[in-house]
Amino acid sequence: MMRVRSRLALICSLLSGASLLAACSRSEPPTTGAPVTVRRLTEAQYRNAVADIFGNQIVVAGRFDPIVRTAGLLAVGAGRATITPFGVERFAALAHSIARQVVAPGNRELLIPCQPAAPAAGDDGCATLFFQQAGRLLYRRALRPDDIATPLKIARAAAAARQDFYGGLAYGLQVMLTSPEFLFITENAEADPANKDVRRLDGFSRASRLSFMLWNTTPDSTLLAAAEQGELAGQDGLEQQVDRMMGSARFKQGVRAFFTDMLSLDDFSTLEKDTLIYPAFGLAAAEDSREQVLRTLIDELVTRDSDYRDIFTTRRTFMTVPLGMVYRVPATRPGGWAPFEFAADDPRAGIQTQLSFVALHSHPGKSSPTLRGKAIRELLLCQKVPDPPGNVNFDNFNNPNSPNKTARLRLAAHATDPACAGCHKLMDPIGLALENFDGAGQIRLTENGERIDASGDLNGIKFADARGLGQAMREDPAATSCVVRRAYTYAAGRPIDKGERDWLAYLEQSFADDGYRLRPLLRRIALSNALQTISKLKPEPRAGGAT
Amino acid sequence: MLTLGRRWISAGLALLLASAAAAPPSTGGPQTLAYVIANFNNAVYETQFMDECPEGPAIGNDEMWWRGLSRADRDKLTENGLVQPVDRRFASVLRGPKGEDVCWNPTVIKEPPLRTVQGVVSYGFNLDGSNDDQATPKSCPHKNFVSERGTPGVDNQMYRLLGCHYGWRHNGVLDTFGNEERRNSGRGVILMEITGVTDPRNSPDVRVAFYRAADPFSIDAAGRILPYASYRVDSNAGKPRYGAVARGRIVDGVLTTEPIDAKLPFYANSAFAEIQLRDMHLSMDLTPGAAGSVQGLVGGYYDFDKWWEYMLKIEFLIATGDWSCPALYTAARELADGYPDPKTGDCTAISSAFKIDALPAFAIHTTAVEARR
Repeated sequence: MMRVRSRLALICSLLSGASLLAACSRSEPPTTGAPVTVRRLTEAQYRNAVADIFGNQIVVAGRFDPIVRTAGLLAVGAGRATITPFGVERFAALAHSIARQVVAPGNRELLIPCQPAAPAAGDDGCATLFFQQAGRLLYRRALRPDDIATPLKIARAAAAARQDFYGGLAYGLQVMLTSPEFLFITENAEADPANKDVRRLDGFSRASRLSFMLWNTTPDSTLLAAAEQGELAGQDGLEQQVDRMMGSARFKQGVRAFFTDMLSLDDFSTLEKDTLIYPAFGLAAAEDSREQVLRTLIDELVTRDSDYRDIFTTRRTFMTVPLGMVYRVPATRPGGWAPFEFAADDPRAGIQTQLSFVALHSHPGKSSPTLRGKAIRELLLCQKVPDPPGNVNFDNFNNPNSPNKTARLRLAAHATDPACAGCHKLMDPIGLALENFDGAGQIRLTENGERIDASGDLNGIKFADARGLGQAMREDPAATSCVVRRAYTYAAGRPIDKGERDWLAYLEQSFADDGYRLRPLLRRIALSNALQTISKLKPEPRAGGAT
Repeated sequence: MLTLGRRWISAGLALLLASAAAAPPSTGGPQTLAYVIANFNNAVYETQFMDECPEGPAIGNDEMWWRGLSRADRDKLTENGLVQPVDRRFASVLRGPKGEDVCWNPTVIKEPPLRTVQGVVSYGFNLDGSNDDQATPKSCPHKNFVSERGTPGVDNQMYRLLGCHYGWRHNGVLDTFGNEERRNSGRGVILMEITGVTDPRNSPDVRVAFYRAADPFSIDAAGRILPYASYRVDSNAGKPRYGAVARGRIVDGVLTTEPIDAKLPFYANSAFAEIQLRDMHLSMDLTPGAAGSVQGLVGGYYDFDKWWEYMLKIEFLIATGDWSCPALYTAARELADGYPDPKTGDCTAISSAFKIDALPAFAIHTTAVEARR
């Protein structure tokens, strides 16, 4: 990728004419696309969808089957997720609970657009109206007649048996909530009338991609209407919807979801710290540290519209009392969040020095330069670090009586093993720069009485401490390339296809041209042809050979 | 707007860096250190009990009541001994001649004198500036102690008064319960803020303020108070409800303050109180111990009426605290040694000292607008 980008940049730099330059930087290269995806709703998407369709008062109490991270993102893993039999039971239980709440007195007046002729009997007309309205939002498309036939039939039978219209309606809604049409984002392609050689997402599928990319929730009624009327196929209509969505308060929710995925913040759900060693790092600090990095990113990249690279050097963040106890700084708004800025000479600068990084990528009772270095490589630079060999020997590193008092010295002894040295060279020089933060992320100057040397280097750029590491990351083109790739992959919900290399090079160049600002990047992706281009159908292999 | 400036430093980090060989450059300008007081105990000097209290432990309310009963009344009033002191505490105080509560009316009966401390060593300060036991313009005649380091002239008649009660001694129920209750309830949390710190080890001119926190303690899962928490200063219309400020200095890590008259917020044993001290002195070693904790001593002449008001508020604890109200009151009146009433000559305050343990914290000052949020 770096080679492609450099080549493109070289070509562009050689062009002298303004129009050619413009074409170089602004024309979206064609792509071959990739197949349509079928993605299971993530837990957050499920919760957001229910809240948006039925309201925040509906409690979604339950657990969800995990999704396996693929190509660095859960958004891609969702395209390979199945529903286990136990998962089906969970979804059924959730559907039952949600449906009961929707039809309960107090909610039914708001959520059901009509009143039955007789509450103790079925009312097909009213039930149909409800299923049409709710179903369109749940299924994220215009309904087909058969979409409501089954819910209606169930509702009718249940209402008759229970002599309760609303009870019957709940059963019908339960059918919709457990339908694959709701639980899976199923994309469909259509022929492009302008180019018969290319296929594209249909309007509703595009609406879903946009909505889950920018809002992490189901398309709203306006977006579905635009899809229904074919407006998303035209540039003006598409721009209108994308700008509306990016101007909405929900855009922050979407950006939060993207970075939650990119930074692997779901790992907080399994984070454990030894509270005897780190008494201040309790549950509240863990929860707040996850929120802190998201608030920092939203503030920098959405509210301030800053250069993406600033996230590696910014001293601005937000603070709570539980976090303040770990950072050992004041929280000026006890009980809530308050803006905070670390002093110019504070060792902390950049999200990689926040608790969400240094505590998350550590062991329960000690720091880990290796885990931190690996996380920087994989999460922030998109560089894969090979897994350790199965027979790796940690004796040198874990020896409590080691004469090597600091992690640097212990790792040096450990890395004398040639089987380990190769990968540790990728991780340790970066991770050791964060050694002034202990396993909970608290500042320390010494380890076992020995002064900590936090110097290191990143791809040949040497630095003295964590702030230097942040500066090196800021200057590393892999960092900006990484967020571009992740953003597009996240939006498409699938791995990058080999036919999209030029498009990504173009996207990276555009990102640079836009001052490395996230908003233009996401807007460009949302408006791109690449996002809606679907690869041609390959002929099905014949079964049974020649006849 | 919050009034926390850019010139703060966390107490722990400042001291950590100050003691480190290669500390980052100072941010410049005076700094602020703040602490939250975790434990607040009467300063009771203890070695062997009989060294300090050769007459034995002070006799409590229940025993006085019990000894005053006939055998028949003992059986009757205690259901043949089944009703324990803790459950008969409200009966035992009603032993005035007309059944009066002898805590609220401590002079209606006369009881044997309180057993008081006879030892010669005590924690505390020389509040009246005198090393002998004679009266001074601000003190009545009293018997001085010497400090644990041998310094004469220590004024701590509160120790003489309470030191032979099990309830007030080390791990006694009263201070222990008070500390735990503050920890659990979050009431009466005291903040100490030191401003003008040019060097955490040596600062010639600092200001020390005591505030009440508007937030409860931050505690961990084991119930321990956590250091470096932020606490809002309890304020009304932007003005701290408490805010006694003393001038002081730090020498070799030890903070001392000049005497001031101060009111300290206090809550213990289910009672809000106000420790009203005249000539309040403070001495605190700021060298951080475990979790950055520091220890010190605060003392002064405790206003007698304020002190007795607190005793009455915690009257329900006399069964576990082991004191006799009439004996305690009479002894306290006799031992009161500060600020004689110009008309009667009786002293209106009693010299006292308290040991305090504190943890580094942050005091958050809020304006009236911020407080309303």
